Amino acid sequence: MLHIKCPHCGMRSQNEFSYGGDASVKRPELNKEISDQDWDNFVYNRKSLRGKHIEFWQHLSGCRQWIKVERDTATHEIFKTLKANEDF
Amino acid sequence: MTSISALEKIHLKGLFGDYGDKNEKDLLKISETKDLLIIQIVQYKNSSTSLESLKIDDLSLKNEALNVSSNFDTRILWNGPNNWLLVSKKKDLLKEIVRKFDENNFAVTNLSNSRAIIELEGENAKEVLKKGCPYNFNELKKDNCLNSTFNGMSVTIDLLDNNPNKIRIFTLRSFGESLYHSITDNCLEFGYKSI
Repeated sequence: MLHIKCPHCGMRSQNEFSYGGDASVKRPELNKEISDQDWDNFVYNRKSLRGKHIEFWQHLSGCRQWIKVERDTATHEIFKTLKANEDF
Repeated sequence: MTSISALEKIHLKGLFGDYGDKNEKDLLKISETKDLLIIQIVQYKNSSTSLESLKIDDLSLKNEALNVSSNFDTRILWNGPNNWLLVSKKKDLLKEIVRKFDENNFAVTNLSNSRAIIELEGENAKEVLKKGCPYNFNELKKDNCLNSTFNGMSVTIDLLDNNPNKIRIFTLRSFGESLYHSITDNCLEFGYKSI
């Protein structure tokens, strides 16, 4: 079982969290013309990296806040957690 | 009109589990807490209102994790950033809250009838919770609270006292009976008195 340090509540079990996907994906700018391929990449296409990965998690059974987690997808080691509005 | 409490149909009074050769004073005690005012207060993200001047029943809202501000009748539990749960025996506090927390800056929601509350008292109260909840209860001090899960059910846990441990567990009313069964099953090995 993973233990994730919520920036708001402290160290908690993974059971309290819900995975929210890749946090490195940026939404295309509003009102800007983009190609179908770029939109496809934003909505659907994801890399399945081995190694360090920045992810969204939601502390669903705790403070209900979204957070960013830097995790190694191979070893599950968690390096750093931040609030959702902070950047690595 | 009389209100029906969340656990009215299943909360049986008496001695249960392995209570045989134990002193009744040392047994765990389980009770249902009812008729409390429960209000959720959320400050909007774009609100610039200072919390320092806002007090309810002489208690302030603190933005500190696990923090509970309390007096004899009222407890204000930290539920998350800018999010608090007020629990009080004083039902008339609602008017004061609605007056002080304006709707442009705060969302005030009355949850009084949508929660089931179980109170656990005794030396082994934390041991009972450890069986179903992943939180490290050894860290939990008096007047601390937390949100977590207990056997998959979302719960809010409030440590009222630590000598002996007195713990209030809140859950959604619809989870009340399942939580009650989980808690009482976990209490069987210690023996418990249902009051």
